[in-house]
Amino acid sequence: MASLAQEPGLVTITIDGTELQVPKGELVVESVKRLGREIPIFCYHPRMKPVGMCRMCLVEVGMKQPDGTVRMMPKPQAGCTLPASDNLVVITDSESVIADRRGVLEFLLINHPLDCPICDRGGECPLQNNTLFYGPSTTRYVEVKRHLPKAFPLSRHVTLDLERCIQCGRCVRFTEEISGDAQLAFLFRGAAMTPRTFELTDLDSKFSGNVIEICPVGALTSSDYRFRARPWDLETRPSTCLECANGCSVWFDHRGGKMVRINGRVNDAVNEEWTCDKGKFGHGYLNAPDRPAKPLIRKEDVLAAADWSTAYQQIVAHFEDGRTAVAGLVGAKVSNEDLFQFKRMFHRHFHSPNLDHRWTRILPSQTEGVRGLHGIDEVHTRIAEWESVNAALVVGNDLASDQPMVYLRLRKAWQRHGAKVVVISERPTYADHFASAVIRCEEGKLFEAVARLSAAVLQNREGADALRAALKPFAPDAKDRAAAEALKGEFFTVCSESVYAKPDGGKTVSALANLAVGTDNAQRFNLYPVGANDMGAALLGVHPGGQGMNTREILEGCIQGRIKSLWLLECDPFALWHDHQQVQDALENVEFLVVQTSAPNQAMQYASVVLPCCAHVEADGTYTNIERRVQKIEAIWRPKGDAKPSWKLFTELMLRMNPSRPIFEPSELMEMIIAEDESFAPAAYHNLEGNGACLPLGVDAGAQLFMEIYQ
Amino acid sequence: MIGEIARDVVRPILTGLKLTAKRLRRSKITVGYPEVKRELPPRTRWRHVLARYENGLEKCIGCSLCAGACPAKCIYVESAENTDEARFSPGERYAVRYEINMLRCIFCGYCQEACPTGAIVLRKDFELADYDRPDFIYTKEMLLEPLPIRQ
Repeated sequence: MASLAQEPGLVTITIDGTELQVPKGELVVESVKRLGREIPIFCYHPRMKPVGMCRMCLVEVGMKQPDGTVRMMPKPQAGCTLPASDNLVVITDSESVIADRRGVLEFLLINHPLDCPICDRGGECPLQNNTLFYGPSTTRYVEVKRHLPKAFPLSRHVTLDLERCIQCGRCVRFTEEISGDAQLAFLFRGAAMTPRTFELTDLDSKFSGNVIEICPVGALTSSDYRFRARPWDLETRPSTCLECANGCSVWFDHRGGKMVRINGRVNDAVNEEWTCDKGKFGHGYLNAPDRPAKPLIRKEDVLAAADWSTAYQQIVAHFEDGRTAVAGLVGAKVSNEDLFQFKRMFHRHFHSPNLDHRWTRILPSQTEGVRGLHGIDEVHTRIAEWESVNAALVVGNDLASDQPMVYLRLRKAWQRHGAKVVVISERPTYADHFASAVIRCEEGKLFEAVARLSAAVLQNREGADALRAALKPFAPDAKDRAAAEALKGEFFTVCSESVYAKPDGGKTVSALANLAVGTDNAQRFNLYPVGANDMGAALLGVHPGGQGMNTREILEGCIQGRIKSLWLLECDPFALWHDHQQVQDALENVEFLVVQTSAPNQAMQYASVVLPCCAHVEADGTYTNIERRVQKIEAIWRPKGDAKPSWKLFTELMLRMNPSRPIFEPSELMEMIIAEDESFAPAAYHNLEGNGACLPLGVDAGAQLFMEIYQ
Repeated sequence: MIGEIARDVVRPILTGLKLTAKRLRRSKITVGYPEVKRELPPRTRWRHVLARYENGLEKCIGCSLCAGACPAKCIYVESAENTDEARFSPGERYAVRYEINMLRCIFCGYCQEACPTGAIVLRKDFELADYDRPDFIYTKEMLLEPLPIRQ
């Protein structure tokens, strides 16, 4: 009967007289998109379960009978909850459907205030758009509308306007299905139904910013963006968030040289379409009024504006051929090109190996890290792969803070197919609520907890006798054995480098690697970095590498006078290093301090020279995220004042020391990176359009155990 | 000879002067600008004014629809939130900056049409000449109607 050949898993449906094959069970609202048509929606969201609350997607439905006639259902049905089945007939443009839509919109608009001119959603509002295309042009409702509190602050970031709510439930479902904190719920019924937090507490979620974006009306709006601009005033450019190492794709909205808001951009490989609050609300520093715009040089205890050549002269005088008496420390938001050129400058012209990008308490050297001790790569799993894992071991700090997108994917895995998750942490974490076992240990006892769990896991398995013997001193309790049940088969390990900030972080990581290697899960081991481009810095070798000093030794060297000149590139040691006093002593004692920064910081007080550099939105550059995805960020604004891209600054300095062919474009630097390190080959600039390019993961040298930690 | 002069020179002059004399009897159609100014037609579109309500509050709510409608892109609006201490307009939102670049404005009146509160109106003041280009950026203070005098 079907005119198209039937393929397995596909069903033939008819939409507005056009027959097409769609996967069985696909929702009609999605099937319609295949024809380039659209069913208006409010409550339906492709990444959440359908609920059919708003009735906007009503369609006429019928079934094709064996004799070829079509038997229509007596009433319209919601297209968002209707799965495609064989012989389904859908009509989306009949007179009655059009009348139904008009009726639904009229009902929705009964209580919706027409304050579009002052609503932050006005101009990009699904309710406005649907009313324009499908709704009535005038209202018949003359009675008094519902009046409720306006501009009710749900949290510091989210403002709730109850009058505008159309009760679609997207926000409530987001907190239940996606972020998992379930902080919003519907209170009351009928016209009084409102999404609220329980007991009127703050909406204190790590992902609350997303409800602003998915709200189809202006009921949930951003407190930061409130009345800042209208959509048609904004310039919107694609960018990448650098607030953590996940590298989420975002839309960067700016107006008149000011960042106005950050919205999630669809990138199925990384963030789907979500953002975390850290990223969405964390870009305020770009608007700081006191960002350095000119090079500053200290003259008689005061930083005074100077020109570049004087600054260069002083820097060259103090750094050139400084050998071990000069050092450089790097922050997280520095592009691959800048890092590479910084390293080249230090190695070639300063002849100094003293470089580090790490700020954690434990700074494992080349021979001490996971790669050194265990012969395995730090990272094996891409972000998108987390949604298909079956079992996972989450160790250390809150996964939702350190790796928000990995957290969302892992939660999806639990929700979709019941992935078993074991959490070991010192404090409550977001992942606890869906974990099949939570091992809460005392502060500073993370290593023991991991070792006990390792012992319990190995009891269920064959092999790895040496490891089992080494783990003898760690007797698992009932809780560990219960948790080990979840890790019976293959399991993925995820830990963040923030664990190195703990006194026993090094041992914890090693114990985790042992567990992964001992259970043949080395290919599923992950130690993700936390800073935006920490991965890039590690791959490009911006670390002491055997001969040089690490961050701690550099700071100590400054205090003892071994380091005469220090260069701080986009980092504030006061904010990053755990020992405040040590930083202060170091910066006070070092003879010559260069602070190169795009935002004012505390270290500037001690600087001999302050160099303004571009923030990531002001210069082209690439950044490597936790899954070694190299993503290009393009300049959106002109640099502030005289600020220069860091790579350009380093190039100019190098030309002063040794005249040679200059570098004009960051792409040339990427070519040089590729020439030096083959693994960067996929990241050539012509490959970076769209979602960037992934560098190889899981390059293992041969997994091995390291038992000395258990003694 | 005299006859020809009378016919070809004097007569046309007199004919013309007769018309002049006839017109002289009519009332004048020019006015003595700038001392005298003519009442302009009711739909004249000249200088913009930001109107106020009778109680002195600004009608403008800073919605930026005028800027969206403006084909010359000469309007810049920045809005902020009213507080009970500092109230500028009746609702939640008011324009903290409102600027029109009069050099770019083409006086099409779309802003007036787009305005949901009737705040921006093009009135009849057409004497907009000035000496410096920066002076043609009309700020909110210049555009706002003066406060009504309290009785």
